Amino acid sequence: MAEEQKQAQAPSGAPRREGGSGGHGGPRREGGPSGGGAGGPGGRPRGKRQYFRKKKVCKFCVEKMDFIDYKRADILSQFVQERGKILPRRMTGVCSRHQRWLGVAIKRARNIALMPFAGSAAGTQAPRAVVPAAAAVEAPKA
Amino acid sequence: MEERLYDLIFIARPATPEEEIKKVLSGIEHTCAEKGGKIEKTEYWGTRKLAYRVAKHREGIYVYQQIRTNHGELIAELERRLRVQDVVIKYLTVRLDEDLKRQKKLMGKREQRAARRPRRTQPAPPAAPEQTAAAS
Repeated sequence: MAEEQKQAQAPSGAPRREGGSGGHGGPRREGGPSGGGAGGPGGRPRGKRQYFRKKKVCKFCVEKMDFIDYKRADILSQFVQERGKILPRRMTGVCSRHQRWLGVAIKRARNIALMPFAGSAAGTQAPRAVVPAAAAVEAPKA
Repeated sequence: MEERLYDLIFIARPATPEEEIKKVLSGIEHTCAEKGGKIEKTEYWGTRKLAYRVAKHREGIYVYQQIRTNHGELIAELERRLRVQDVVIKYLTVRLDEDLKRQKKLMGKREQRAARRPRRTQPAPPAAPEQTAAAS
């Protein structure tokens, strides 16, 4: 009985695993150990998004900032990639209002050479303080 | 026209002697006095690395000032003068008062909300025990 169940689940599990491996590292990693054990039946049918994702909160809302200063390059540099691209909201978890202000602030800072424009050499870049949420999302992809 | 607050940052060449920078600053001061403006703040940030090359320099001396004025032409005049000066490789003027006004408004709103909040949280605690009682 138990073996039949396992066999029945295996084919249904396999294609999902393939689908998940496209973009996310999470499902594949979990699929390995659960293949032989009892971990499969519980989580599988619910969908591919079974791995835990931390809820991101807007850093500026937490600190109650009503004004993002373009002169604080140390803060702004947390929200750009190494090459100076502004990170999207889905990476950093910044709320829409603050993202709007942040964009303006970064662009002002670029104007006075406090921040690099996208594409400029990374040689002059200070070591970037990593946004924890963004790093967690980026790491499996690379 | 109401009073406006501006940020003025300029970057001087890295090897500029201090007298030259002082000359630029006194020039700004002079223009401000002429056109009716007040320098609120002057900060000397010193030599900093530039994020990209400006006029073939990798670093520059930053000077930051805040200027309060009623006349927009003053800023135009200051920009024109900074552009002419050989020592200054880059400058930026930003109007700040609108952002600060928004900040003040939002802070006021937040305080209002904070003042209102105690009233709203008081009815909540009695509601919580009811739920737990219903669940059990």
